[in-house]
Amino acid sequence: MRLMIAAAVTALVALASLCLGKVVLSPLAVLRALFGEGDQSLVFIVEQLRLPRLLLAALVGAALSVSGLILQAIIRNPLASPDLLGITSGASAAAVLYLSSFAAVLGQRFIPLAAMLGAGLAVLTVYLLAWKQGASPLRLVLIGVGISALLAAATTFMLVFSPLSTTLSAYVWLTGSVYGANWAEARALAFWLLALLPLLVVLSRQVMVQQLDDGLARGIGVRVEWLRAALLMVSVALAGAAIAWGGAMAFVGLIAPHIAKRLVAAGFAGQAAMSALSGASLLMLADLAGRTLFLPLDLPAGIFVAVLGTPFFLYLLIRQRH
Amino acid sequence: MGLLAWRLLAPTAQAAPPMRVVTLFQGATDTAVALGVTPCGVVDSWSEKPMYRYLRAALAEVPHVGLETQPSLEDIALLAPDLIVASRFRHERIAVLLEQLCPVLMLDEVFEFERTLLRMGAALHRRQLAMDIQAGWRRRVARLRERLARRFADDWPLTVSVLDIREDHVRSYLPGSFSGSVLDQLGFTWSEASRAASGVSIKLTSRESLPVVDADIFFVFLRADTPSMQRSYQALVGHPLWQRLRAPRRGRVWQVDGVAWSLSGGILGANLMLDDIERVATAAVAS
Amino acid sequence: MSDARTLSIAAVLLLCCGVLSLSFGASWIPPSEAMIALVRPDGMNLDHILVNSTRLPRTLLAIVVGACLAVAGALMQALTRNPLASPGLFGINAGAAFCLILFTSVFSLSSPEQWLWCAFLGAAIAGGLVWLIGNAGQGSLSPLRIVLAGAAMTAMFSAFSQALLVINQDGLDTVLFWLAGSLTERSLSTAAPLLICSAIALGGAWLLAGQVNVLNAGVQIAVGLGQRTGWIRLLISVLVVALAGSAVALAGSIGFIGLVVPHMVRRLLSVDHRWLLPGCALVGATLLLLADMLARVVILPQEVPVGVMTAVFGAPFFIALVRRGGRYG
Repeated sequence: MRLMIAAAVTALVALASLCLGKVVLSPLAVLRALFGEGDQSLVFIVEQLRLPRLLLAALVGAALSVSGLILQAIIRNPLASPDLLGITSGASAAAVLYLSSFAAVLGQRFIPLAAMLGAGLAVLTVYLLAWKQGASPLRLVLIGVGISALLAAATTFMLVFSPLSTTLSAYVWLTGSVYGANWAEARALAFWLLALLPLLVVLSRQVMVQQLDDGLARGIGVRVEWLRAALLMVSVALAGAAIAWGGAMAFVGLIAPHIAKRLVAAGFAGQAAMSALSGASLLMLADLAGRTLFLPLDLPAGIFVAVLGTPFFLYLLIRQRH
Repeated sequence: MGLLAWRLLAPTAQAAPPMRVVTLFQGATDTAVALGVTPCGVVDSWSEKPMYRYLRAALAEVPHVGLETQPSLEDIALLAPDLIVASRFRHERIAVLLEQLCPVLMLDEVFEFERTLLRMGAALHRRQLAMDIQAGWRRRVARLRERLARRFADDWPLTVSVLDIREDHVRSYLPGSFSGSVLDQLGFTWSEASRAASGVSIKLTSRESLPVVDADIFFVFLRADTPSMQRSYQALVGHPLWQRLRAPRRGRVWQVDGVAWSLSGGILGANLMLDDIERVATAAVAS
Repeated sequence: MSDARTLSIAAVLLLCCGVLSLSFGASWIPPSEAMIALVRPDGMNLDHILVNSTRLPRTLLAIVVGACLAVAGALMQALTRNPLASPGLFGINAGAAFCLILFTSVFSLSSPEQWLWCAFLGAAIAGGLVWLIGNAGQGSLSPLRIVLAGAAMTAMFSAFSQALLVINQDGLDTVLFWLAGSLTERSLSTAAPLLICSAIALGGAWLLAGQVNVLNAGVQIAVGLGQRTGWIRLLISVLVVALAGSAVALAGSIGFIGLVVPHMVRRLLSVDHRWLLPGCALVGATLLLLADMLARVVILPQEVPVGVMTAVFGAPFFIALVRRGGRYG
């Protein structure tokens, strides 16, 4: 029931995103523009600017959120998010390195690739370093924190010693933004997520087991290590791809799962769906705010994720009785 | 696709101007004004918001399309421009979208203001004007260079440091920066340490490292014109290490306009720099 | 090795680093010369001027800030009973940064003295807010809730800062060094009030150490032993805000020490906070001093921001400790 409401809310947000902007259109006008009728610049705005951007925002939000949910389950810590295991910091360090050293020669189109590589490498390093007859959740997190700090330091270093023009672009990237999304990008991310979906479904039954004690889980015959590694891989793939196209807006991955958990009861499938929906609407809403509130400024969505998400989250937190 | 970003469609249309141009970086806005074209949309400036003072008179009525890092695409689309001037570093991601609107002139190095001038002149059907402006610039530089050489006689060429004084650090602009390239044309040279450094600036957080920027002449600008900024500048100037540097000892520390020297990136800004340097050639000692 | 011996070794190490820190820099000044500069400064000697005007302040600052951050981290981890808690989790760094950016970009405050107070104000406000939310709704402070509230507030304040910096892009250029952590060119006279505040807070933390032990054993036990847990928690929170707030105001965001030093010290000493807290103070100060010394010389003539250096320096250490296992097995 609540899922249905959430889905409806998401759809509503999506519709609002299509209607609002520099020119405010009625839903009917949006529909006409989608079929290529009417003023050509309006058609361009709806078809080429708003729609792909909206889709990209939704996909990025959903992917980060589900990734966060999985991580919170394997790490068994409510603070777990793509930030913690080095996913965000790895992607950030790689992207900023790319921007400051290679972008002048190679152009910007390889940033997503660099970010994904960075995320993957960072998590691999964390996992290998945490491995000692298995990778216990606590060790994973602690080493993740260490590696993240190292990578964040590298990022800061590059930011401080790059010329201002590089620093500013890098800073926008670090804030997280779906600005300038085009169809090719939205399609690429969608394919990537679709490819991960079956894997996610297969693994979803096992996630709850991960929240148990390792010994207990082994007791009921779960191959804990393998499962953990597989889940980790899925969440890295989700978050890495999202960050590659949306920049380092990892707060979604921390907060959307918590919002979801407070809205639906236990059960991974339900929570995952709810997380995806809340992440998607959070990011769409944030992007809508970013590009409409301060016209003609078009601000990175990452800013508004926290501005919108935090009060709602705090409200849920305060309202809930233990 | 990326390589052929500047694909002007109809070079035959000689009688096309006036054109509707949107400039997406500072140097392009500056250059458009220099070419006598008022853009139909510009991005916010870095400081002196919303637009550098030296450009304000020319751009009073022009709508802004947001920040250089993320100009509003919907605003640009609604302006229905004939040409968009963008920077490859900044705007490559949105090039695909911009090209659906109109031809895009994509510039690689935003600080090479003479290149920006010539390419924009060609794109705006003002090739001759652009070449005239460049020739004027070259003449002015040559004249000033001679005057400087006469003025400093045996000391010429002087080594120079361009210092940007911040609250918590001092930044020295290197030959590779915008102001550095202008000073280079004028015949100034740099100290060993500055030539060895790479990039556009070195940032010195500790006063202990001041000797690195030692030179015969300093051009200094303060980021903000506030009393506290002045105080921290005075504190720096009063420091024993500063007073041992060559330029302060010989009274060759000149305060100049920070916007023109570090943020403008266009031919008008470069000319403002020459105005500042002409004071040096005329005056006997630094104020 | 007994705790007392470990502590005294740490103290000696800190002292050595302190002296070395006066000698290290763009030019090497022999320790003996540095000592003379301290005792009988010669106003015309450039080395003496350097030691007294730049190296001594930053050395003292590094010691105080390092100690504050590490102790605040240990208290925070005890308070929330979460090994991932760091003083930053109270929203302190983010609050300080936001306040600083707000005041510099909106009201164009720009003297370092004003920065100091802005940052402290921001840290206190953020800390207070997190504490209130962590406490709201039910009688006592719940660790989980304060952690979540802290993370959320941190994100919100950072988002505000980012918004201001993205709009006022010139401001980013101005505060970037501060955001990366910096010990340079602070004058001791302007920092004095905060230095005193942090010294008092450090002392207070040590006095409270016994109570922290009790609290760490679990709320039920603590209540059973007659501890007024609510008050103790409030006191600890106030201390964390005072310690981390002064640290961030004095030296900008230095992220790593508060999180990692408590873990390192727990591996070296017992879990008794009466030993743990002084240990954290010593190790934190040493780590920051070492990081600062390296930061001065690795990329001469420029300096690496000290916040970067602490991570580069501390992270491998930390990872090695975690891998060696023990309590984290």
